[in-house]
Parts: sequence; structure tokens; C-alpha cells
Amino acid sequence: MSHAEHVNGELPHEPEKATLEGRNKVLGFWLFLGGEAVLFGTLFATFLALRGQNNEGPTAAELFSLPITAAATLILLVSSLTSVFAIQALHRHNIEKLKLWLIVTVVLGLGFLGLEIYEFYEYVVHESFNMKTSAFSSAFYTLVGFHGAHVAFGVVWISLLIAQLYRKGLTVVTAPKVYVSAMYWHFIDVVWVFIFSVVYLLGKVG
Amino acid sequence: MTANQQSNEGPTVKHRHRVEGPEKHIVVFIFSIVLTAIAFAAVAAGGINTAFTIILLLVMAVLQVFVQMGYWMHLKDKGHLMPILFMIGGFFVASTCIVMALFWVWW
Amino acid sequence: MAHAHASSHSVKRYTGIMDWLTTVDHKKIGILYLIAGGFFFGIGGIEAILIRLQLIKPMNDLVSAQVFNELITMHGTTMIFLGVMPVIFALMNAVIPLQIGARDVAFPFLNSLGFWTFLFGGLLLNLSWIMGGAPDAGWTSYTPLSTNDYSSTHGVDFYTIGLQIAGLGTLIGGINFLATIITMRAPGMSFMRMPMFTWTAFITSAMILFAFPAITVGLVLLSFDRLLGANFFDVAAGGSPVLWQHIFWIFGHPEVYILILPAFGIISEVIPTFSRKRLFGYSSMVFATILIAFLGFMVWAHHMFTTGLGPVANALFSIATMLIAVPTGIKIFNWLFTMWGGQIRFTSANLFAIGFVPTFVMGGVTGVMLASAPADFQFHDTYFVVAHFHYVIVGGLVFGLFAGLHYWWPKMFGRMLNETLGKWTFWLFAIGFHMTFFVQHFLGLLGMQRRIVSYLPNQNFDELNFISTIGAILMGIGVLLFLANIVVTTRKPVGVAADPWEDGRTLEWSIPSPPPEYNFKQIPLVRGIDAFWKEKMAGNKEMTPSEPVGPIHMPSPSILPFVMSLGLFIAGLGFMFSTEDFSNSFMSLIFNKYIVLIVGLLITFAAMIARSLYDDHGYHIEVEELEGEGKA
Repeated sequence: MSHAEHVNGELPHEPEKATLEGRNKVLGFWLFLGGEAVLFGTLFATFLALRGQNNEGPTAAELFSLPITAAATLILLVSSLTSVFAIQALHRHNIEKLKLWLIVTVVLGLGFLGLEIYEFYEYVVHESFNMKTSAFSSAFYTLVGFHGAHVAFGVVWISLLIAQLYRKGLTVVTAPKVYVSAMYWHFIDVVWVFIFSVVYLLGKVG
Repeated sequence: MTANQQSNEGPTVKHRHRVEGPEKHIVVFIFSIVLTAIAFAAVAAGGINTAFTIILLLVMAVLQVFVQMGYWMHLKDKGHLMPILFMIGGFFVASTCIVMALFWVWW
Repeated sequence: MAHAHASSHSVKRYTGIMDWLTTVDHKKIGILYLIAGGFFFGIGGIEAILIRLQLIKPMNDLVSAQVFNELITMHGTTMIFLGVMPVIFALMNAVIPLQIGARDVAFPFLNSLGFWTFLFGGLLLNLSWIMGGAPDAGWTSYTPLSTNDYSSTHGVDFYTIGLQIAGLGTLIGGINFLATIITMRAPGMSFMRMPMFTWTAFITSAMILFAFPAITVGLVLLSFDRLLGANFFDVAAGGSPVLWQHIFWIFGHPEVYILILPAFGIISEVIPTFSRKRLFGYSSMVFATILIAFLGFMVWAHHMFTTGLGPVANALFSIATMLIAVPTGIKIFNWLFTMWGGQIRFTSANLFAIGFVPTFVMGGVTGVMLASAPADFQFHDTYFVVAHFHYVIVGGLVFGLFAGLHYWWPKMFGRMLNETLGKWTFWLFAIGFHMTFFVQHFLGLLGMQRRIVSYLPNQNFDELNFISTIGAILMGIGVLLFLANIVVTTRKPVGVAADPWEDGRTLEWSIPSPPPEYNFKQIPLVRGIDAFWKEKMAGNKEMTPSEPVGPIHMPSPSILPFVMSLGLFIAGLGFMFSTEDFSNSFMSLIFNKYIVLIVGLLITFAAMIARSLYDDHGYHIEVEELEGEGKA
């Protein structure tokens, strides 16, 4: 299934949609995101139910640092924008720009992960706040940790796609993969919007 | 068109397709920054009525999600009926989980 | 830019076992689901017989209380997740692409992955029997009974991790059928011209998509509590046991509609065919299915009326639950109106379908009784509930599956099941079923609790329990007769007409039995509901094609789904035993240091990377080959 379809020597206009397999991949991924909405919804529900149960341990208001959260938010938001630029480069068939913007996205993703690992390290080592501390802590680490794991998976995935673009170039086979990874990346930014609002900001409000 | 077989749905007439510029997306970005800033500011300032702050945070979040999904994820473009239906379905079931958590876990 | 031409490389084709391990063909995957599902159904059946033998008389001591708790837990878990759901997927795989005029599902590779994850998840769950004990906290695994405080063996870990892996397979399958039905229908087949089995498969798949992520989270939370010291359900640390119940039933209630909707679809195929009459009220059937699915997500707390949610919550959930009876009733009337005035043929398939109707109604009405929260305070945790759900799951779903298997067996295997044996199967199974479960309504009303290993004599339970056990044995004999039917049938040569029932209405009956690898030589043109019937009424023996004959592109087989699932299986074992105290230092090293877990995950990720890096060129079936088959 890897014929590179060329019309008059050119890649089709929206290469990710040029084949049935490509269109199916995009639709299939939207369906998967619908399921992910329920997955994160259940995790959020668990967090909301247990956010007040700190078992004599640290509370949200005591723990969270707004500057770090703001920095992480900014990094992820910019990375979502750079992945938009990547797809625009894809539609312009500009593979060099595409690779560039994907690399920037990955670097920003790594930056986000670095901040989060630093944040968790501080909590575990200096605040005695770990998975076992309380129901609140378990819910916090599971929700935010699941999101972080999604970011990490995305970083690995997009890195592998960048490598594929170097090896195989932009074709009607690689284009849907890139498009779908950008959908994924936007989605984890959408989830983060709810995380910083419901976990961190709401945590500070009380 | 047969299943499992590729086909090219590109144009047979050679003409340039206008690829959209980045302007709309940058506007969405700035809008997101503004909404985020408002949310952070409301909490950092403190002293604002709690219930109002919560509603503000939610409205900021929902607005941001709408524009990001509409523009960056192209939900507002044509050919996205099924994605919209299934995202609504997902958010609907997620919202029943939220109602459960807020009203029926502690009493 | 990379160019690749499929015609210039050798075609990768396997035979024998490797063919089955690597297939991405929906027809073969359907058969795999049927064999595996049938196997687990048998295990669940043996567990049921043992339960009923223990309960045949008061104060029996056939099995210990511990083993009894494991039996009831595994019976429910195995039957639902590993028995009937795979058989549903077997029929969906075998039939849906044919009914919509497609050559395969949207994602053949994922289809295979869905099967193998189910199989390895089911194997992991059942390994518990010989690895320290099966889970024993009920198929609903309520906390705190299922947390480390009260469940210190690994049984519940097998439950959380085995179901987690199997559940991934179901979710993958759901996404696959949704995409397939959305994008791969033949030209002319609008949504409102799809067969009812396809419609119910579509709605069921949407329910799977939205319900399974909730149980995914629930199982994660429980396994984190057990294996990582989390506190979701630990009251002392601020957790809430009721949270588990909510999350489980937010999944669990839609799950039972996921079970029954495909059966509704099967009945909507079988009854019209054997009444020689179109389905009455097609549009209202579609609408009713959608309404049942939607309402199904809003009623979960009717499993929790006695937890103390309060009268407002109880009232809301009572009313919502009773509402579901309305669209369900519409369906029942439509089936009756379909039969009215038809020329009815009492084939085995139709016996099961007709038997379904009153039996499911009986289960449905006890459901409405249970829906009344005040009444449920009396029924809850008694055999009345057990009677209700077996009426709808066995009398409903399993009858429907038997109907579907008898109906589509010739299409799947090119042979007809023996009708005499089929009728014996029906009567033994149906009579045995009513014997087993009708009396359980009264046992419940008399006060017999669920999930008890034994009961005292002289409570008026004795005779009814005895009858119930005899009924179960009859059901077992019926199932054995069905197996005998399969053996007898398999000995016959393959060679049955495309339309062996002669009254086929839908597209699967327009192609040979069994179909060729590519299903349709030419994708058909659909001109209305009951597409094949429409052509027959217009005097055509075959469907009008919508395209010329051309080379057909097929996806390549692959061992990677098997490898990915094996990796998850190994990782599951690694996670489960990561907190175990080993006396052997090597075991301690590889488990307590998470090496087994990591190796398992690496195997899965390596297979995923291989899948992404190496493009599947597929292969072509050329026109000469197609024309040759047509002349056979």
C-alpha cells in the first residue's frame, strides 16, 4: 500500500487524504480521540472526587507553584502552534520546513516533560508527596502522570516520524501518519488546558 | 472505488490550490494566551469570590478548547461531521463521570 | 520520494498454522474469535455446572467457600468478556464487511491485533487457576473486598491485568467497525439502507468506544491501589469505595447493552428471512437502537440503589431505567408485526430467534421491577437479580447467538449445520434454561441471597435449587449437542449455495459460501434496503456491479499482532509479580526490579515500531485469477 501517487509529477493537494487508507487513518484517529475524551474524563472525575482528601499530607494550595505551571502551559501551547505550522508545511509540500517544525515541537515537548519531572521530583523528595501519601496524591499523580505519559509517547512517536521523513520523504503513506500525530499533539494540549485549570488553578483557589 | 485500493482524489485539472496562511492559527494562539493569562491572573490575584473564579476558569478553558479544536484541529472545516459527533459523544459520557464525581461520591 | 510497486515483489503467503497466526482476513479472524470464544464459553459453562452442583442441596460441601467464590467470579467474568463478546465479534467479523459490500474492514492489521490481545488477556486471566488462585471478589470486583486488605493473593491482579489487556482488544475492534461502516459501504448503501445487524453493530461499536475507557481507568486505579500503594479506595487515606462502584457501572451498564444490541440485530435478520417478509418498522428500529444506546449511559446507578446515594438520585435513575423499556418494546412489537402474515419456516435458527422474543421480554419485565428503587431494596443481592440477568443475557443474547450461528454457519464454513441436531439443541437448551432460571425468581423472593456457597435446609429453597441444577445439566447437554453438530457438519464436504436459505435478503447471500478471499469480484450497486432481495424482486439472479473487473489489492499477513499481544502478556505478568516476595534471587531480580515488565513492553513497542517503519505493500489478485474462479 505504498504507491506514491503522483499527478503530473506532484504530490496531491492534501496528501494525508489522498488515499482511502489515509482517510481511514484520520477518521479512525478521531474515533480514538473520542474514547480518549472518556478516558481523561474518568481520570478527571476521580481527581475531582478525591482532591480534598489529603490525609494530613500536603494540599494542592500548599504544593503547587503557579510560575512552573504557567511555564509548562506556555511551552505546550507553543508546541501545539508549531505542530500547526508543521502541517501547513506538509500541505505546501515543503518537507524541509515540515521536519523543522516537527523538531521544534519535539524539543518543546521534551522541555515540558523536563519541567514536569522536576516538579514531581521536588514533591516526592522534598515534600513527602508521593503516590502513597493520600487519595488526593494518588489521583494527582495518576491524572497528571497519564497526561505526561501521553506527552512522552507523542515525543517518541513524532521523533520516529521525523526519522521516517528523512528516510522515505513525504508521500501519501507518510503524510497521514504525520497528520494523525499532529491531531494527537493538539489533543494532549487540549487535555492540559483542563489540567492546569482543574488541578493547578482550582487547587490554588481551594 | 474498490476498498483496500488506493485512489487519487486529487484534481485532474492542474491548478493551484490555495493553501491557507498561518494568520488564523496565530490569532487562535494569541486568544489562547489571553484566556490562559486571565485564568492565571484571577487565581494569582486572590480575593475574588471563589464561585465566580471557578466559573471563570471553566469558561476560559472551554473557550480555549473550542477554538483549538475548531481551528487547529479543523473541526470547523467541512467533512468533519463524524469527528464532531464522536467528540460530542465522548465529552457527553465524560460529563456524566464528572456529575458522578461531584454529586454522588460524598454525602 | 519513495516509489514502490507491489507487482514487482514476491507475495508473502503462509499456509497451515502460520496462516492463522498471521492472517488479517476478517473471515479468518471471525473463525478465530469463534473458536476462542467457544473455548472460553465452555470453561464458563463448566464453572456454572460446578456452581449448580454445589447448590443442588443444602449445606453441600462439593467445593470450599474459597473455591466457590473463585467459581462465581470466573464464571461471570469469563462468560461475559471471554465467551459471548468474542462470539459477537466472530459474527460481526464474519458478516459486516459482506453485508456492506466491502472487501475487508477498515484496519485489517488492527483487526488481528484486537483478536490476539483478547486471547492473551483471556489466557492470563485463566492462568490464575493454576498460579495461586483465581480472582474471588465477584465479576464486579467491589472494593474494599478486592483491595489488598481483604484479597491478598494475586487473584484480583489477574483480573485487573487480564481484563485490561483483553479490553484493549475490544476497544480496537470497536474503532475498527465504526470506521468500516462509516467509510466502506458499497455505492448506493446510505445509512438508512444498511441491514439491521450492521446498524446494531455500528451502535454497539460506538458504545464500546465510550464505555471501555471507563473500565480501563477503573482497572488502572484498582491495580495501582494493589500494586503501587495508591489510595483511591482506601478509606483511611481518604479514598472512597463507592467510587469504584460508580466507575465500574458507568462501564458496566453500557456493557450489557453492548451485549444485547448485536443480538437484537441478529433477530432482525433471522425473523424477516424466515418469515419471507421485510422487517416491520425499519426506521423505528434504527431510532430505538440509538435511543437504547444513549439512555444506556444514563442509568448506571440502578446497580447502586442501596449504597445510600439518596432519594433524589435513586428516583432519577429509576425513571431513566424504566424509560429504556419503551424503545425496547418498540423492537419487540416490530418483530411480532414482521412475523404476522408471513410464511414462517421453523428452522433451528428461527426457533432460537422466536424463542428469544418471549424469553427476553420476561427478562425485560423483571428489569423494570428492579428499576423501582424501593422494590430493589428487597430484590438487591438476591437470586431475583440473578434470574433477571440470566434471562436477558442467556435467554436474550445467547439465544440470539445460537440463532446467528445457525443462520450464518453456511456462509462462514460452506456447510449447513444439521437441522435435526439443531432442533434438539434448541429444545434441550431452552427447556433447561427455563428450568434453571425461572425458579430462581422465586428463590430470590423467598429470600435466598446471591453469592452464597451453601444454604440452610428448611427455608423452602431445597426443591427449587434442585430443579435449577437439573435445568443447568440439561443446558449443558444442549451445548454438547451443538458441539456434536459442529463435528458432524465438519465431516461433510464444503459446497453449499451462495443463498442456501433461498430467502436471503442482504448482500452476504449474493456471494459464494464461503466467500472467496476478496469477497466481491466487483463491488455491488445497492438500490434499496434488503439490497439482494431488491434485485431478486427485479428478476436478477445477481447484484448489479458498480465497477468493472479489475486487479484487487489485498493487505499482507503479519505476525506482529501476535508479537505485540505476547509482549503485553509478559508485561502483565511482570507488573503483577513486581511486589512479590521471592525466595529465589533470580526471580526477585527480574520481577522486583521490573525487568520482566520492561522486556514485555519493549517487545510490544519494538513490534509497533517495526509496523510503522516497514510499509505494508500488500499484494494484488490479478484479473486472470478472478475470471478463473468465476468459471469454477
